[in-house]
Parts: sequence; structure tokens; C-alpha cells
Amino acid sequence: MKRFILAAILSGLTAAGPSSAQEDPDLEALQLADRIETKTEAPGNWRIFGEASLGGAVLRSTDGFQPDQRLSFDARYDNTFAAGWRAVLSDRLDADNPAQTPFGHDINTIREAYLSWQPGADLLFDLGRINERNGVALGYNPTDYFKASAVRSYVSVDPNSLKENRQGSVMFKAQKLSDYGSATLLYSPKLSNSVSYGDFNPDLAATNNTDRWLLTISPKLSDEFNPKLLVVKAEQVPVQFGLNLTSLISDAAVVYLEWSGGRNESQLTQAQQLQGVPAPNDTAFRQRVSSGVTYTTDNKISLTVEYQYNGAGMDQQHWDHLGTSPLYGLYRYWLQSIQESPTRRSVFLYGSWQDAMINHLDLSAMEKMNLSDSSRLSWLEARYHLSHSEYALQWQLDSGSRFSEFGAVRQTQTWALLGRVYF
Amino acid sequence: MRILNPTLICLSLLCALASGAAGAASTPVTPQEILAASDAVRNPDFPFGMTNTLVEYKNGQQTDTSTLGIYSKADPASGQFRSLIRYIAPARDASKLILFSGKDLWFYDPSSKASIRMSPQQRLLGQASNGDVVTVNLAKDYKAVTASEEDTQDGEKKTRHCYKVAMQAATPDATYHHIDMWIEVGNYHPVKARFYADSDKLLKSAYYRKYEKQLGIERPTETVIIDGLDPKWVTVMRYSELVKRDVPDLWLQREYLPRFKPE
Repeated sequence: MKRFILAAILSGLTAAGPSSAQEDPDLEALQLADRIETKTEAPGNWRIFGEASLGGAVLRSTDGFQPDQRLSFDARYDNTFAAGWRAVLSDRLDADNPAQTPFGHDINTIREAYLSWQPGADLLFDLGRINERNGVALGYNPTDYFKASAVRSYVSVDPNSLKENRQGSVMFKAQKLSDYGSATLLYSPKLSNSVSYGDFNPDLAATNNTDRWLLTISPKLSDEFNPKLLVVKAEQVPVQFGLNLTSLISDAAVVYLEWSGGRNESQLTQAQQLQGVPAPNDTAFRQRVSSGVTYTTDNKISLTVEYQYNGAGMDQQHWDHLGTSPLYGLYRYWLQSIQESPTRRSVFLYGSWQDAMINHLDLSAMEKMNLSDSSRLSWLEARYHLSHSEYALQWQLDSGSRFSEFGAVRQTQTWALLGRVYF
Repeated sequence: MRILNPTLICLSLLCALASGAAGAASTPVTPQEILAASDAVRNPDFPFGMTNTLVEYKNGQQTDTSTLGIYSKADPASGQFRSLIRYIAPARDASKLILFSGKDLWFYDPSSKASIRMSPQQRLLGQASNGDVVTVNLAKDYKAVTASEEDTQDGEKKTRHCYKVAMQAATPDATYHHIDMWIEVGNYHPVKARFYADSDKLLKSAYYRKYEKQLGIERPTETVIIDGLDPKWVTVMRYSELVKRDVPDLWLQREYLPRFKPE
């Protein structure tokens, strides 16, 4: 009892001390901080990882399960090797079983290999293969003018993967910066006509099969409003114009609009002409639009809703009838290469939840709905990451009628379990 | 306990003028001036670079660690800092960039070459809000209402005589509804702070500690952040390699993000 009274008195004295006395939980946290030893990491020039994937697909034709495996090696080097000079090399090697192409199991993608020279603070020049990417939308980027034939190896339908795992185009690029914005002019020449899927072929013809110019102007009108204007001219194609706009509509929501327009032929006509199939000239002013909103909750869930319009795609009536035409296969093959939708209207939903229920677990979900044929692509991913490794489980479902955008692909479902280690 | 209210402030100013005290004009006397003086201890008044190493603990176990390179300069128009953040570690995030310019936030990933506009609600790291990680002049975003004097224990268990400055959000850029901050009398060292939601719920506490001479004056080299709801969720931010350096305005725009390579 005496001990209890003494303890009560002592505790009373403590409470009556400076109002400042730390609450116990704070004291515990500070003691923990005292014990922490930190190591300050230095920036590096390399990012290297290896990735292994095990999975398979349920084939639409037989309902049978076809297993597949993939091993990948991915390296990026970015070094300022002398004042004003920078070298970038980015490469990825995928070994697939079964093979993705008839040309072999290995596909090497030289994503980037270029030199940058900055003679002054506000002037920069680049020469080499560059992954030139424009666009503020998440799922569909009408102003991503260098995406055609850029994906050599399909790793995932996740838009982030499609943007990352692709080869750039050889170009010369000049950029002038000022406090009022930026202007960039680039020229990407035609270097080859003969596409090669050979294992380690640089495949110049895939992304340098035509002469292209691109002018990009980003005036800085205010901190909140930074539009981006684009003008692109490709050989034998009329000038196309592009616009990127974003705006913050609340502390939690960003709205964006990406637009591209110009006189052009329909995608079907382009596909026919490339295969030497006679087609009437149907050049007209056509637009592509991708607009959406991303909302983030206070528990780190981000949700994006995006409307996609492709004015060069087919309207519902023509698309409904194309399935019975011999042009169907030719059209689909061409679209896979240029990464465009076959029809005009789609809706894209994307959700991600960082640290979902447990630390380091990120959940992502994607749904793409073709509004013309009601087919759907659904994709889910759970990814757990540690300091030097990460592990993911991915599931994809393609559903729809026989000749629809997603109902016609060879598999109904795919599964993949993958592990990645950073070196 | 002494409360600094406007009447007292006027009186003290009159006394100072009457006594002709030299240097009175440069001594902070209003709660807002005390807050601004404390900002000047945390933040250099010139462009600078530094490394911020964050370690996160939950229930005594380390759950996350990140290293960020931070490049900041004050915007002469708003007085608020604009910053470029470069991830150095972990490996999966290395070389990713975030541009902070008021509410204009852009995230850039060199792998996908994608520049994505972020909303202020999208956080950089687990517990640390964007405002915790980047340099913020609190006096620009908050109105200090009162400053009372009291003793408090600092992050190193020493008793300090402090102003307890109560401040309210004054601009839409403010991350918190209101904050109580203890600032040491005499040297304006921030000692600790409590951050609240508009419901008066405690969101987090922060202790500014391990003062060392950096770029001319004593500055905190560590902040310990304790979650308001779960005190076993602790983030330690350690600052190192603080250097005065040029941060050109050219860097602080979206189109420069693919170009940013400071070494």
C-alpha cells in the first residue's frame, strides 16, 4: 500500500511538472528515433533489375490452359560524364516461352541510346534513339505521336508497362527553355523500311520508317495553367495538331484533356494501303480525344475515369459488319501495331491503392470498355514491394462477342506471378 | 503564463520605442514574427540543396526507408518555397522526380517518360505529407493567433522555455487546419509542433531536434513525426549535405523534369 501511495505521489509530481512533460507515447517514439541508424544513399547512374514470370492463358478456342514463362533483364544508365554532356542507355531483354514471335524466344529492345549536350542553361540538344512521349492522359494518349510500332515485346496490358517497355525513335532534338516556358523542335528521319523482329536487331524500321517533325510549345501562363501545344508533320500525312491541358479542381482531384486533330485517312484505309489493298481516299478532318479526372482519397486510393474518342476508328455500324469481311484480320493486325482502338468510343477506369491494408502492398485495377461493341478488358494486380525486390500477381480477363475488340483475342484469361530483384 | 495579444504587442512596441532600445525593430514581437523567425531557423533564406533520409516505423519495426535529394528556392512573389525532389532510394523509385510549386505538383518517371500532374492529396511517402517533406514557410500559409510562454520538454528530453504559438490556416495552400508550435524563447528554435484537422483531431506531432550549425546558424537536422491516432507509427527525417546552391527558375517547370540531372 505504501508503495502504491509513493507511486501515486511521484506520478502526481510528474504531472504537476512543466506542462511540457512529454506524453509517454512521444517519449517512446523519441527513444526509438535515438536508436535508428541511417545510411545516406548516394545517387547512382544505373538502375538494373531482373524479373521472372510464371503464368499462363486460358485459350478461347479450346478452353485449355497454356502455361508460359518469361525471364527479363532490364538496365538503364544515365550519366553526366562531363560538364554539359549526358549519356543515356536503356535496354531490356525478354526471353519468353512460348515465344512471342516466330523469330525466336528472345526479344531485345533498345529503348533509348542518346547523347545530350547542354551548351547553356537554357539550350539543349539530343541525338540518338529517344523514347519521345507526350500526353497527360492515363489510358489513351492521342498526342503520343511516336508510339506506333514501338512495343516489341508485350509484357503487360498495364498502360504504365506499355509506356515503359517500348523502343524510342532515332531523332535530333533541340529544346529552348525560358522562365516563360519551353519550345522543342525535333526531327526523326526515315532510316529503314524493312522491319525485323530478330532477337537483337535494333529494328530501326519499326520506329524510323518515315520522316517526322514535331514542334512542342509549353508556355508557362501561370503556376496552375501550363498548356502544351504540339504540331507534327509526318511524310505523306497532313499536319496534325495536339493539345494537353490539366487543371486542379480540388486538393484531391485533377482533370485533364488531351486532344489531337488534323486531316487524315481513316484507320481502315491506312491499314489497307499499307498492305497494298486498294482503298478509296477518305481523308477528312478527324479528332482524337482523351479526357478524364483522377481523384485521390485521404487513404491513398486514386481513381481515374477517362473517356476516349478516336475519330479515325470505325463507327458502330461499320464495325459490326467488318467481322465477316476479309479485311477484319488485316485491320486488327495493324491496330495492334499502332496501339489504337478499332472503334471510336471507349471508357477507361483505373484505380490504385497504395499500402492497401498492409504496408508495401499496392493494388491496381483497370477496366477498359469499348462502347461500340460492349467488349471489356479487365485487369487486376497485387504488388508487394521490399527495398530491393517486388512480387506481383496479375490477372487479366478479355470478354465480349466473337469479333469484338476484346472478345476476339486468343485468350479469355491470363495469370502471371512475377518476382523482380533490383541489383 | 503570458499571452501575447495585440494590446500587449502595442504596449511592448511603445515601451521599446520609449526606451529607445536598439535593435528592437529586428526582435520578433508578434506571434507572426515569432513564427517567421522560426521558419528562418528551419529554412535558409537562399536557394539550397540537401538530402533527406526518411525512416518509417510501425509498432517498433522498420517498415520503410527512402532517400530524397531536395532542391529548393523561395518564390519572390509568394515567399513560399518551390522545390524539386529527386528519389535516390529505394532502387525501384530511383531518379523519379516531383516538382512542387505551390499547388502545381508534377510527378516524372524517367522509365516511362511520363509527366503526371498530381493533386496535393497524393502523398509522396507513407506518413509524411508533402508539406513535411518539402521546405515550407509556415508564416506564409498560417496566421499565428497567440503566443504564450511556457516550459516544454524538447525532443532530447531537456526543458526549454518556449513560446507556444497557435496558428490557423490562412491560405488554401496550408496542409493543416491549425497548428500549435513550441518555439524556444531567445533563439526561435522550433522545438515541437502539433498538427490538427478542422475537427480538432490531432493528426500528428513533430519534434525538431539534433541542432547543428548548418549554413551559418544552428538548425535542426532531424524531425521525428508521430502519428496522432497511432503513436507507434513514427517517421524520422534526417537532413544532411545541406549546401547553398543555385536552383535556377528554369528547373522549376514541367518541361525541365526530363532534363534534371544535378550532378
